[in-house]
Amino acid sequence: MCGIVGYTGKRNAAPLIVEGLKCLEYRGYDSFGLAVMESGDGSAGHEDAAGKPTVIKKQGRISDAGSDVSVACGNIGIGHTRWATHGVPSDVNAHPHTDCSGDIAVVHNGIIENYAELKKVLIAEGHVFKSETDTEVIAHLLEKFCNTADADGLIGDEKIDFAVKNLMNTLEGSFALLILIRGFNGLIAIKRFSPLVLGIGDDELFASSDMTPILEHTQKILFLEDNDYAYLTPDGIRVFGYPSGEAVEREVKTVDWDVESAKKGGYEYFMEKEIFEQPAVFVNSFRQKIDDGAISVLKKASSITVVACGSSYHAGLIFRYLMEKYCKIPVRVEIASEFLNFTIAKGTAVIAVTQSGETADTLAALRHAKANGCPVFAVTNVLGSSVTRIADYVLYTRAGPEISVAATKSFTAQCAVLLRIVSLIGKGIFEKELFEIYPVLEETLLFDPADASAVCKDAENIFYVGRGVYYPISLEGALKMKEITYIHAEGCAAGELKHGPFSLLTPKTPVVAVCTKDDAYPVMISNIKEMKARGAPVIAIGSSGDKDLKEIADIFIPLPRSENICEVISATIILQMIAYNTAVLLGRDVDKPRNLAKSVTVI
Amino acid sequence: MQAVILAGGEGQRVRPLTHSQPKVMIPVANRPILDYVIESVEKCGINDIIVVAGYRKEQVIRYLNSLDTGVSVVVQKKQLGVFDALLCAKDLIKGDFLLIPGDNYIDSESLSRLKTERNAMLTAEHPYPSNYGVVSVSGGKVKGISEKPSLADTMTVSTGCFSLTPDIFNYPATCMIPDIITDMAKNGRPIKAVPANRWHDAIYAWDLLKMNRMALEMVKPSVSGNVSKSASITGNVSIGSGTVISPYAVIAGDVVIGENSYIGPHTCIMPGTSIGSRVRVEPFTYIENSILMDDSSVGSHCRITDSVIAKGAKLGSNVTVDPSYSAVEVDGHFFKAFFGSVVGDNSVAAPFTVLKHCVIGNSSAVENGRVIEGFLPDGSIVK
Repeated sequence: MCGIVGYTGKRNAAPLIVEGLKCLEYRGYDSFGLAVMESGDGSAGHEDAAGKPTVIKKQGRISDAGSDVSVACGNIGIGHTRWATHGVPSDVNAHPHTDCSGDIAVVHNGIIENYAELKKVLIAEGHVFKSETDTEVIAHLLEKFCNTADADGLIGDEKIDFAVKNLMNTLEGSFALLILIRGFNGLIAIKRFSPLVLGIGDDELFASSDMTPILEHTQKILFLEDNDYAYLTPDGIRVFGYPSGEAVEREVKTVDWDVESAKKGGYEYFMEKEIFEQPAVFVNSFRQKIDDGAISVLKKASSITVVACGSSYHAGLIFRYLMEKYCKIPVRVEIASEFLNFTIAKGTAVIAVTQSGETADTLAALRHAKANGCPVFAVTNVLGSSVTRIADYVLYTRAGPEISVAATKSFTAQCAVLLRIVSLIGKGIFEKELFEIYPVLEETLLFDPADASAVCKDAENIFYVGRGVYYPISLEGALKMKEITYIHAEGCAAGELKHGPFSLLTPKTPVVAVCTKDDAYPVMISNIKEMKARGAPVIAIGSSGDKDLKEIADIFIPLPRSENICEVISATIILQMIAYNTAVLLGRDVDKPRNLAKSVTVI
Repeated sequence: MQAVILAGGEGQRVRPLTHSQPKVMIPVANRPILDYVIESVEKCGINDIIVVAGYRKEQVIRYLNSLDTGVSVVVQKKQLGVFDALLCAKDLIKGDFLLIPGDNYIDSESLSRLKTERNAMLTAEHPYPSNYGVVSVSGGKVKGISEKPSLADTMTVSTGCFSLTPDIFNYPATCMIPDIITDMAKNGRPIKAVPANRWHDAIYAWDLLKMNRMALEMVKPSVSGNVSKSASITGNVSIGSGTVISPYAVIAGDVVIGENSYIGPHTCIMPGTSIGSRVRVEPFTYIENSILMDDSSVGSHCRITDSVIAKGAKLGSNVTVDPSYSAVEVDGHFFKAFFGSVVGDNSVAAPFTVLKHCVIGNSSAVENGRVIEGFLPDGSIVK
């Protein structure tokens, strides 16, 4: 997975590309690069004659890069921030990739599945490859097709058209491409199964993997569809459909996302900023209007299956506990990447939960469900993302852009939307409680995680335990802890401890127990006593004023006084804050943990 | 020119309202005090603004992020006074600058005049100068400041607004602002005293009501939300989107009501009242000269006057406030003040409670309809 940006207009492209890439860093950050070229100066014989692209690329993060990357001159440019899939992170493997002549530069997000065969053929034809990436074949293929077009006497747009169509015909896999070709006065954008949006400014055009880099310049956004290819030139944007090659109309939408909200403000890390946005995010996501049609389809379904990955999977599990208990509809929750192994019962409604709307596994699972004739739903945070084009019904979370790799506000927003579904199907259950949750979450944010973090930071293993709906909360707490602190953390159903993990408990393995005064309270208390007996230090999160729990636990964290359902969200935030604070104490790169990327757009 | 706005202190004397937020974030007319300060600074033509956050910094930063104005934020880790706070911003300061407290109202004309002077301070006349730095002035120059003296010899006080040059950073970090000003006067570089036009500080929680009335005068009338045709709205009234005003409600400005609130039938919302967002006011309730912060609620048949009801506080039905001018104890000192009640965050009062000139701390509960007088600390339970 990677991020790409492109610009064509009157301004110097390089600084704009660099700024744009910084916005996309959450998509990958092991290396970056850009290519710029000068458009024709309009003098006789030079109208279309764009110069040769200048390419700069580097291993490392764009935000750490010096000013030297912005010096390249040219008013047309493309850039890329990389997440390695084929070939290790290095200067050579960084995009853009060029053909043998250096006249063509390509940036790519996605995977070319047949690149190995193509590469073999191209090498046999005399092309010289510089990198180990799949992307480089695209540049050489374009060179080959341009040469064929030249030989056939095609010039100008006809030549480019010929090359692009042949390219799309040859490539297999997923790709969003931005291409510079010497002599073509603009950008070429191609999309198949990878995200790509275009922005229309005053006398300038933008392209990007998502809207954030564009919004600083314009709110007019054009969403490309799969198998679209577009020419961005001084005359505007022309979009064509593959394979017909006919011009297509794509609606230009005005997006009112506040780009400031994508910036860190005065917070130390985006994660902290995003944690503190949760009261408003939860309330906005919960209070939104939900399509009656969607709810009636879910009501009629014999069962519901949720497919998701990572934190979204945990949101699905919470949905399951509440839906089964209060609405008596059977719910199955599957990890998206495993879903293809299973059969889908007739009459099942399938809900895909994905923050980015681009999670490859989740998209594949949803396509699988759709192919089986299920009504398909998407819960996503990103307008116009790939999942929204597959789903029959789309429910948006109102989290705004989430930059930190570890999900926080997008998770609570997913819970809000899923809880809203439970509430609507369950005749208004939880509605009053959750309409009044705002001050409870504000109160939760006043929690000081210093004591709990002090215990966690020196541990090598941490267990998170809970029962009922607090089991998925424990899984989520453990995921947050491991992904940003690099401490091994495991979420467990409290009842399962005795069936194995108990043997791992020692005085050096802290246990974080979530134990509010719900149905499972008495048995949780006895579980915690058993853990204490093995000497494990217990950090207990419980209801306000719970004296018994306070007595047993080494550290007792009371939740704000509120309804049971509100405690579920409060407890989640407490666990996020403990993980965050522990990571800060350990000096981790909180927003960009090693080996992880924000949205996983490869399988 | 730059401006450094101090937003790091808790504002302990405004307790219990500073439990979840610093004083700068307390809403008057539904906007944090800090917002008025930033507005005045911008109006006087300064765009390079540095805010020093400290106590509950997350709340301040989140708020600043929601503004259109881009401001720089620096964090003061421990609240060690004004000069220490200023030192936190030292690296961002490029030349002459204004130093402004974020928790007082100050008008932009005064700041404009202050801006034209180098080494000057805004002063004001105050009936109770002992709460402030009392300034002795002669010939328009400051001779010295004595911080919160038990006996003040003039009524002139420091507003905390200064026009300064980077020379001030030559003083050692352990200095306090009054010492520095006095020292400058001694060494022939006296600070000019510039009288302020409109300056207002709320020292104690009940002082907010006056600041609220002042701020309400500046509110532009605008009514959105769902207002019943049979409700009566007169005077200067602002109602936010998503708010429901039920039939036969009477709203007489100056009044401001936030978003997604509910005002029940036959309620009276009288002048000097600010109602926040997601607030619920049930039928037949009378409210006057009061602040109801976000997420609070008031039952039916209540009478709430001259009161500050903090975030998430819940008053049951038939709660009556009985305001008076009498003594109240704060930190061992007695003050005479006129107000009804101050109810802290998330506190609850049972039906038929009478709030008689009292301050109820945060997360407290009055579990039966009693008469409450005086001061209840945080977490109190009255059975």
